[in-house]
Amino acid sequence: MNQVIKVTNLNKSFEDNHVLKDISFEVNQGDVVAVIGSSGSGKSTLLRCLIDLEKADGGTITMDGQDLLRDGNFAPPAKTREIIGKMGMVFQHFNLFPHLTVRQNLELAPKIVRKQDTGAMVKHTGALLGKVGLEDKIDAMPGTLSGGEKQRVAIARALMMEPDILLFDEPTSALDPELTGEVLNVMQELAEEHMTMVVVTHEMGFARSVANKVLFMDGGIILEEGTPEAIFEHPKSERTKEFLQSITRKE
Amino acid sequence: MDYFMSVLIPMVEGLGVTLSVFAITLVASIPLGFAFTLMARSRIKIVKGFAEVYIYILRGTPLLLQLLFVYFGLPLIPGIGPFLTFNRFPAACIAFGLNYAAYFAEIFRGGLLAIDKGQYEAAKVLGLTKAQTMIRVVIPQMIRVCLPSVSNETITLVKDTALVTIIGVAEVLHYAKAAVNRDGNTFAFLVAAGIYLIINFFITLVFKKLEKKYDF
Repeated sequence: MNQVIKVTNLNKSFEDNHVLKDISFEVNQGDVVAVIGSSGSGKSTLLRCLIDLEKADGGTITMDGQDLLRDGNFAPPAKTREIIGKMGMVFQHFNLFPHLTVRQNLELAPKIVRKQDTGAMVKHTGALLGKVGLEDKIDAMPGTLSGGEKQRVAIARALMMEPDILLFDEPTSALDPELTGEVLNVMQELAEEHMTMVVVTHEMGFARSVANKVLFMDGGIILEEGTPEAIFEHPKSERTKEFLQSITRKE
Repeated sequence: MDYFMSVLIPMVEGLGVTLSVFAITLVASIPLGFAFTLMARSRIKIVKGFAEVYIYILRGTPLLLQLLFVYFGLPLIPGIGPFLTFNRFPAACIAFGLNYAAYFAEIFRGGLLAIDKGQYEAAKVLGLTKAQTMIRVVIPQMIRVCLPSVSNETITLVKDTALVTIIGVAEVLHYAKAAVNRDGNTFAFLVAAGIYLIINFFITLVFKKLEKKYDF
């Protein structure tokens, strides 16, 4: 298996709050990694460090053999852009561009970052909207879409840049419960196509059935790491058991 | 009717001057104001400080005083005074442009604050540069947020142009005053009021159209 992300001894503090403490983990090509844990455990911060939305304080992040961060030293800006360009990200609050139509949301980056030619791009737009089941919304404004539709557009927008790795930051947490399914289905399809994904989530069902690796974070460390079976059926630490119990009670 | 025409005709000439001061100020102060907005957000302390002091002074003193200062005060500065001596009309445009830039800077600053940081993050992870993010993502959304305030400010500007009469620029109010003084009849003031109302009617119309266009 090809290793695509390697994180070693990652540290990050917000002032006095030590959010990530010596985090190390690896992601192989085609992995679907679910990062679970309670609020404030550092899982979103970890994801954001991977794509340069937060600057880690120390450690090493390597993507496809290229260092985004090496022992606390960042790659130069041009290199950073190149490295994070291989990743896409889907946000909790979608972050669609509200002044642009669905089509324009998808085509903005390919057009002005990649300078892609229109013919190929239009085909790509149609194909990806078809994939997320929203072909008929191509000329809609984001404001007219439901949360689930917005998130599916956001996934299609990320896919337009043909990323090797997709990061999801609680993609269903802002959705009404009945709308999470349509988003999770799209993500499951991507997983079946062997897209490498790192998913911060509270959806235990998804973590259990779609992920092949689960990281349980607690208090800024990865407390437990393993297959869904190992984490959900045979959790080693008391803290993991407690967390899983509390979350299954809620569900 | 004849009296109306005799009052109106010189005022139409003044209307040209009023509209010129208005248009030049608007065209100059909007980009200048946005430049001050960006400076006030700069990480470089001296740039940020300069923009903040500029905005503080220009918003904190009367426009009338600034007008007098540009026309009468600047030429008196030792050394550089001779280079800062302007005729009436350019002096009026300079004072107005500098003053309105400060107001627009504050309006735009508020507009930028209203934009969610998720927009910058989405643009960044899609690979847009900072300039591309500004032009394609941030500014169009800022315009929507700012339009009502800009509309308000533009209407104020139309009325403020009447101030330039103080340095002897012959605009609408200048001719109205002349007619009133000459004839001992305040009818000319009513005509002037009508002219300002008509201008602002069209401005309101334009901004309504713009707000519709930027309604997303």
